Formats: sequence, structure tokens, C-alpha cells
Amino acid sequence: MTIRREIEIEASPEEVWEALVTQEGREQWLEEPDRDVHIEVVEFPHRLVWWWGSDEEAATRVEFEVVGVPTGARVIVTESAPGFPLARLRARFAGVLA
Amino acid sequence: MSDKVGLVFAALADPTRRRVVETLLHDGVTSVPSLTSVLPISRQAVAKHLAALDHAGLLERAPASGREVRYQLRGDALAPATVWLQNAETAWERRLARLKGAVERGA
Repeated sequence: MTIRREIEIEASPEEVWEALVTQEGREQWLEEPDRDVHIEVVEFPHRLVWWWGSDEEAATRVEFEVVGVPTGARVIVTESAPGFPLARLRARFAGVLA
Repeated sequence: MSDKVGLVFAALADPTRRRVVETLLHDGVTSVPSLTSVLPISRQAVAKHLAALDHAGLLERAPASGREVRYQLRGDALAPATVWLQNAETAWERRLARLKGAVERGA
């Protein structure tokens, strides 16, 4: 199961990239001190993937796409919990248990 | 992701347990003997998988048929996963707004 959100930022993809890929950059906005970030894929400056979780929480996968647009950059984030066929189960639950 | 939804994930990450859930979706109720007859695993293994699904909050006892203990899916079994989705969406809206603020201040 996956969620997806996006935003436009008035800055270059490279500037956005710095805020995503460096620890110092993330400290400016992420505000998740209890979660350990493990970076898996780094494709400067357009695609970044990390896994994160904490002692209390199962790990999820976070993927950023940074795309140049006329006004700056568009950031698309998806967070997914692998191996969980929620949509399929939910559809079938709805049929059987409604 | 909360503890609860982590348990649901872990329970459904196993292919045999997904088959048990599929069987329940199809048949409505099941039991250790009836699962043992359709799955290529031992009675003990079936009981263990049912216990894991129960622990994750996916199962409840169905009305008994004779002496046989029977199980069915809980109607709200996926509620923790739905809550996770909503929380994750809200959290990313906030984080992205903060990211935008931080980058645009620095730009």
C-alpha cells in the first residue's frame, strides 16, 4: 500500500536535492528524530529512495522524485509499506463482509 | 507505522497466511481441520498461522459448529491499515510544506 503527495517549490531541483539528501538539510524540515533514515538509491538530483522506521514502528520505503518545472521544482513523494496487498484485500473484504 | 499496523503487515507478509485469508474471504468461516485438508501443511502449522492472524487482530471466533472451533475475519480487520494511510498522507502534507518553506528561505 502506497500514499503519494506532491508540492511545487520555487527553487532549483539541485537546491531541493540538498535538503533531501543531507542530514543537515533534513534537519531543517523533517522533524522525525526517532526515525532512522537508511538511504537506498541516490540519483542526483532527481530520485532519492530511503527506508525508515523506529524501535516502535515497522520500516516503510520513501521515494522522492524531483522534477524541474518553469517555476522551480516539483517534488513527488511516495511512501509504501511493501508486501501488503491492501487494495485487493479491501475490495474483497467489502464484497464479503459488507 | 504503528505497532498495530506493523502486526497486520507482518501477518500478511507470509504467503501461507495470505492463503488462509483468501480462504476465509471465499468461505466466510474456517477451522484448523478444514484448513489442514486444503493446505499442504501440518495441523500444528495451520494452528500457528491462525494464531499469528489472530494476534494481528484479523480473526475472531465464529459461532461453533458442534465441538469444532471456527474462525472468521473481523470486519474491522483492515482499520489499522486505513488509519496508517490517512496518517501518512497528512504527515507528508506537513513535511512537504516545511520542506518548501526551508528551501525557499534558503534559496
